[in-house]
Amino acid sequence: MTTYSGTIPAELAREEHVTRFDIHQRVQHFFLMVSFTLLVLTGMPLKFAESGISKWWISVLGGVEPTRLIHRGAAWVMIAVCVYHALYLLYGIIVLKKKFTDIFPTKNDFILFFQEMAYFTGLRKERPRFPRYNWREKFDYYAMFWGIPVMALTGLVMMFPVVATRFLPGWVLPVALIAHSDESMLALTWIVVVHVFFNHFVPGVFPFNPSIFTGKLSKERYKVDHPVEYEKLTGQSVQSKEGN
Amino acid sequence: MLSGVRKSVRWLLVLTGALLLIGLYLLLTSHRAFALDETGCLQCHGTPGLSKTGPSGQTISLYVSEARVNTAAHRYIDCTSCHTSKPHETAITLNKQTQAEKCGTCHSYQYKLHAQSIHGQQLRQGVTEVASCLDCHSAENNPHAVIRVLEYSAPTYKKNIAGTCAQCHAQEDLMATFGIVEKVYESYMRSFHGKATALGTYKTTELDKATCTNCHGVHDIKSVSDPSSPVAGMENLTKTCVSCHPGAGPEFVSGFLGHKEASPRYVPAAHYTEILFTTLLISVITFGIIVVLLAVRKYIANRWKETL
Repeated sequence: MTTYSGTIPAELAREEHVTRFDIHQRVQHFFLMVSFTLLVLTGMPLKFAESGISKWWISVLGGVEPTRLIHRGAAWVMIAVCVYHALYLLYGIIVLKKKFTDIFPTKNDFILFFQEMAYFTGLRKERPRFPRYNWREKFDYYAMFWGIPVMALTGLVMMFPVVATRFLPGWVLPVALIAHSDESMLALTWIVVVHVFFNHFVPGVFPFNPSIFTGKLSKERYKVDHPVEYEKLTGQSVQSKEGN
Repeated sequence: MLSGVRKSVRWLLVLTGALLLIGLYLLLTSHRAFALDETGCLQCHGTPGLSKTGPSGQTISLYVSEARVNTAAHRYIDCTSCHTSKPHETAITLNKQTQAEKCGTCHSYQYKLHAQSIHGQQLRQGVTEVASCLDCHSAENNPHAVIRVLEYSAPTYKKNIAGTCAQCHAQEDLMATFGIVEKVYESYMRSFHGKATALGTYKTTELDKATCTNCHGVHDIKSVSDPSSPVAGMENLTKTCVSCHPGAGPEFVSGFLGHKEASPRYVPAAHYTEILFTTLLISVITFGIIVVLLAVRKYIANRWKETL
């Protein structure tokens, strides 16, 4: 039984990795990230059409028509990623007999959330002991089951307004525009403020954590970020360091 | 022998240089246009400050900017076409109505349409605030500087039309006197039509979005309360929408907010969606920011040390 304490040389930590994400998860994240970025870059200028920077950026892209083409192209890429993910889950469950229980939301996530808030505010000395996915990662994952359907459905209504109003009431058009516009701000702000901060800008991984692109996370980080999972994988127990 | 060759080479160089300079001059000045001015009016009237004193002692400017005339739509029409063949013997005091009639002597079709429009109807009743020819066709309201519709700088070029209409229609007080309460320009600029037209380039392929005149008409603009207006009533409105959105039905049209804002009484679904999504946005982002700030506080307290 190894008791963890103190700092491990960085070279050693880099050599020893745990494979955290399989190739499908990495590819899905990559295309989700690329399509999201393109959608933001081509959608926000329309939302903030009065600002000078939007006018400049649209002229760089060559006008509203090229901008619209990129936006719709990226939207189809994002939808394709969702289909890929659905097939990935189905294949995993039916053929590979995987259960994907790690990502299920549990009562423990709420406990860990409050433990982390207590840790941040100084009410608790030790970091909470997270399993494979912490509450933030689960929140990001399940938020997409709300965000992407809202964005995709409202986007499709606006892409085909005449077809949509052939079997839907007319008020779906202004509703789609409002929902698409507001939900985009929610997604963008959350990704930039919360997702990027906790995954890249925290001590230990700043300025960039490549694990979602390489699939690998150093054992040392794994012990800190996902001690419960680490113990399960290695059979070694990890003690939280007190203080700090 | 050698000096003879050197001489001819030198002459060849001088000649080539001169030709290049002439070519460059022609290239650089080729975009300049000149007014025809067959009768030489601009020799005197092109002098800034030229004026006369009117019967009641007022100063009347007789100056015509050559620079403006040179780029105007009518630069090849001689002055006497409008000012009669004996301009110094003919007193023409133009007001908005007679100015329109003057344009109408050539542009009779447009004059007739305008006369029947809400602007023209009001003008003939003596209301001078309404738009007539020059209000839309010249940026400076200058009869000598009417710009062709397809020029990018024209107030009537498609990309500029909304701004031209806004000169009057964005003036709340002026519009109130005519009973127009909707903020027509503001609401148009909030719509996709307005945003895309403003953001797009000047290319015609970028400008296939509706601007004021696409729905309301051009010279024949009618009041929305006039049953013959293309936006009066569901039937006319549907026809107008279909002209750009083939296959659009009554439901499509009913979802168009027009120049009104959604409210509990007008398209309530849009009104409540706005409230729902704004609440969601504010509460989720506030939660996220609080968590991040707490974490930042903790990491600063740790002096940004690795919390291993």
